[in-house]
Amino acid sequence: MSVQYTREVDVLVLGGGIGGLQAAVDLADRDLHVLVVERDTSIGGRMIALSKVFPTLDCASCITTPKMAEAAHHDMIDILTYTELESVERADGSFRCQLRRKPRFVDEKDCIGCRLCEYACPILLPNEFEGGEGARKAIYIPHSNAYPQCALLDIDNCIYCGQCIKACPTDAVHFAQEAEEIEVRAGAVVLATGYELTPMEPVRRYGAGKLPNVISPLLMERLIAPHGPYGKVLRPSDGKIPDSIAYVQCAGSRDASMGVPYCSRVCCMYAIKQAILVSGALPLVDVTIYYMDIRAFGKGFETFYQEAKAMGIQFVCGKVASISEDAEHNPIIRVERKEEGGEVCEDTHDLVVLSQGMVPAWKPADKVAVSENSYGFIEVPEEKIAPTATKLDGVFVAGTAAGPKDIVDTIVEAGAAAAQASAYLESSGWLQKTAAKRSYRTPEAASTEVG
Amino acid sequence: MTDSKASPRDLRIGVYICHCGGNISDVVDCPKVVEAAAGFDDVVVSREHSFMCSDPAQEMIIEDIRKQGLNRVVIASCSPSLHELTFRRTVERGGLNPFLYEHANIREQVSWVHGSRPEEATAKAIRLVRAAVGKVRLLTAEERIGVEVLKRALVVGGGLAGLRAAKSLADQGIEVTLVEASPFLGGHTAQLEHLFPHADQARELMAPLLRGVADSSRIEVLTRAKVVGVEGYFGNFQVELEVQPRHIRGPLPADKLAQITEACPKSAPSEFDYGLRERKAIYMPYPGCVPEVPAVDMQSCSRCGKCEEILGADAVDFDEQARRVKVDAGCVLMATGFKPYEPYKGELGYGELEGVVTLAQFIRILGALPKDAGELEVGGRKIQSVALIHCVGSREIDGVHDPSPHRPLRTYCSRVCCSASLHAASEIRERFPGVNVFELYRDIRSYGFYEEVFERASRNRVVFLKYSDYEIPVVKAGNGEAALSVVVNDQLTGGKAVDVPVDLVVLASAMEPGDAGEIVGLMKLPIGSDGFLLEVHPKLRPVELAVEGVMVAGTAQAPMSTDETSAAACAAAAKAARILTRDEIPLDPFVARVDLSRCQGEGLCVAQCGYDGALQLEEIEQDGEKVKRASVNAVLCKGCGACVAVCPHRAIDIVGCTLDQLYRQVDGLCA
Repeated sequence: MSVQYTREVDVLVLGGGIGGLQAAVDLADRDLHVLVVERDTSIGGRMIALSKVFPTLDCASCITTPKMAEAAHHDMIDILTYTELESVERADGSFRCQLRRKPRFVDEKDCIGCRLCEYACPILLPNEFEGGEGARKAIYIPHSNAYPQCALLDIDNCIYCGQCIKACPTDAVHFAQEAEEIEVRAGAVVLATGYELTPMEPVRRYGAGKLPNVISPLLMERLIAPHGPYGKVLRPSDGKIPDSIAYVQCAGSRDASMGVPYCSRVCCMYAIKQAILVSGALPLVDVTIYYMDIRAFGKGFETFYQEAKAMGIQFVCGKVASISEDAEHNPIIRVERKEEGGEVCEDTHDLVVLSQGMVPAWKPADKVAVSENSYGFIEVPEEKIAPTATKLDGVFVAGTAAGPKDIVDTIVEAGAAAAQASAYLESSGWLQKTAAKRSYRTPEAASTEVG
Repeated sequence: MTDSKASPRDLRIGVYICHCGGNISDVVDCPKVVEAAAGFDDVVVSREHSFMCSDPAQEMIIEDIRKQGLNRVVIASCSPSLHELTFRRTVERGGLNPFLYEHANIREQVSWVHGSRPEEATAKAIRLVRAAVGKVRLLTAEERIGVEVLKRALVVGGGLAGLRAAKSLADQGIEVTLVEASPFLGGHTAQLEHLFPHADQARELMAPLLRGVADSSRIEVLTRAKVVGVEGYFGNFQVELEVQPRHIRGPLPADKLAQITEACPKSAPSEFDYGLRERKAIYMPYPGCVPEVPAVDMQSCSRCGKCEEILGADAVDFDEQARRVKVDAGCVLMATGFKPYEPYKGELGYGELEGVVTLAQFIRILGALPKDAGELEVGGRKIQSVALIHCVGSREIDGVHDPSPHRPLRTYCSRVCCSASLHAASEIRERFPGVNVFELYRDIRSYGFYEEVFERASRNRVVFLKYSDYEIPVVKAGNGEAALSVVVNDQLTGGKAVDVPVDLVVLASAMEPGDAGEIVGLMKLPIGSDGFLLEVHPKLRPVELAVEGVMVAGTAQAPMSTDETSAAACAAAAKAARILTRDEIPLDPFVARVDLSRCQGEGLCVAQCGYDGALQLEEIEQDGEKVKRASVNAVLCKGCGACVAVCPHRAIDIVGCTLDQLYRQVDGLCA
């Protein structure tokens, strides 16, 4: 353990994805001082890795990067990346938050993001940002749009050759860097901890994650992104350009056998979006979507769905029973075609995308005394009249931490969390208590390290 | 600012070409554009980047401004509507005046529309960049216009969204005026009974919110009020309201209320019960509604005076007149809600066959049945089987749905009807186990956690029949077995025609935009092709309208459920609070500016100006003489340029878009 800090902020926002950033910006625009705590190496969350977003087909980066930059440069927002929340406790009408900043082995203050260390490093590893496709080095900048543009050393895969240390022009690489414990006092807390995809490893009937050409939708996002790992859609097993792509809907949603009985709200739309995009990238490709119900319920969604049908994307009503593969690793889908007399078919495709659902990415257990609903998401007990308010007064939740939802609903909910948190600071007396400081303090002064 | 005085010799222009991932660079040869731009006069830096809006690229620009001493910046990327503001901020952070920046759109205007012709696209991109460089040379450093903010929000609509938004604003210390067109708050949510998914009682749920609004010292509530006039601008709206009289002064004790409703001899169809029942001319829709003062429907009232006899002359005033009220507000929140679509006569038997009702009506029917009712009785008939038909008036398809009676087609999904129907189906099965329930659907859209509602209906042995997008079910009179018969080609059993005899048909009808009133026209609020208010951008600014200072909350924007409505309302309140907690807000300086050395005071521009008060002739002293000269009110001027076109002396120009700047731009395009 190294240095101890003590900071005081008006609101601590946990999670630097699109929801957390929007809540932070909305709060900071009200002159409230916000600390964004992100456990990953960069802010931007899931959205920064997406290609385009439904139903407008805006490029995801074009929406996310400016929000990242706005938060990063806002006078009233501080950001800590690669930092975990260890606990939140109520004390004297405020929250004492313990954070643990993990070592990057690169000093954030000194790193200028020149990537010379990255070029010097001899180790090649699968690139997580590209869904495991493409390569990164053992010391690397997470991705080209990352904030901060600061390198990170993957110590587990480092051979300590010292090339990066030699290459670094600012002596920023430190193999001995340690984690820091940070204590923050906050007037309110917003949890925007996001989602993960339903894990497929336990699902043997869909190949248990072992079939090379049965991929996750997030990998597909990277494959169709113009700046993705290959710049084109290639299937993993042999690099072939697929002629026939299938989407298996409700893979990890609406399925009690997978422990996910709820619907994940976004999978129908992202499958349709990817189908449209991949049809644009590969004009000769056949795309089939195997579905139970198409849930195009949001603003502009139904039109988007009808356009996809008109484009020739095939929609087959039926829950896929199992996926196997032939000798060439071509996935074979077994399905009862419900609307074609219940005929059981085996269809072979070149590539299958599992439209995986959403599960919570972070569990509050033992850390924050908020309750979880029966699905493990953070509960909002009175969601119909008190949106985003958790069981713990002063702690709010936004976005997919409270349940699956799309980007629009996440952004709206983040705004709601900001309104609720700001109203809470008004009623809890925090604003009055801190008024004296508020009048003279500058944002820098507020985050002065004092211990 | 020294920048503005820079003579052409001192110009140092930076040009930045964005790849937008591949959105631009897949078509446009970006290195070629960079090379071409480097050759334009006074361009000292010309660079490209995969995402110019990303933080690393912004930092690169800032470093160039500082190290290379740039005093003009051109960025060629996406549409300025997306990122012009982003880049102005970047330039400002670099220490340069933000208005010494020019934007070229090489995505929407080039790569996205000329995808098949990359060479010509590249040539066009070069022209657009050359035009922007030409214009940026003449740009001058400008200051934003500061506008004082009136610290009050006007919330239009007193349903769930309006109540939630008003309460949220008040909780954040902001003064609110809430206007509701009907006599009572609560909107359509108050007409619901048990809300999906957990069967909370709607009015009980709303009660604390209603009380909170009614009791708040920061919220002024005006019912029977409509916006009839709007003047002013962002941060400074003067709104005129017309408030219809209530005729009764309250609150009234419960016994008196019972007496007057008993005594009143006149009645009319109850709005609250969607016309299923009658109410008196003096009425309150339900106990505990807010305001707790009955309303008098003067169209039905015969002025018999019976209520006056009971309440006393002080409490009743039939001669009370409508009044006009002025509200000064910095922001307007549109929470004008939805209305349930009423099917046209003959649509699936509605209005022609007995026993065909909408879901909204059916919820009122269920709510009115005694809790311990043993049988489902509707209109005096015992019901043994019910069919609920989904997507009535939603997801309509040209060529399938009959367009004539209700153009335009409602192509959107109404989002909540699936869950609401399934919830109603379960309620029937649980309360009246002997009643068979059929759901006729296209896709079951019980999204998210609402899937529970679907599961519950399945467990309750509701029978599901799926109809295709292209074959609407038919409702006709029954053949003796039951009152009605529904014929559907069930997709789940090979598309065979199934004839379902039922006693009641419930139509899950669409959510239509509510009547937002005159304010839409007065403020020129944008409406989407679906008839709902249209947000600026679904992800960048999802609760704001293109008219600055106007937010949208809830189902005025699109169909949504109660929890989504509440969240949207709070989000709108957050945006409004951002404005209303400031003393001053900055507006862009792109308005008309008069060159007094050229103006002759002829007033042609004033006659042409379409915005009241934006442009006037004012008497000033010039060279010891009193003369009339054009004068611009910068906050009222919209920068439309109508004045520029008519001035014979070229004495008026739009800041940031002067004639000279435009000429240079055209030169750049044509060179």
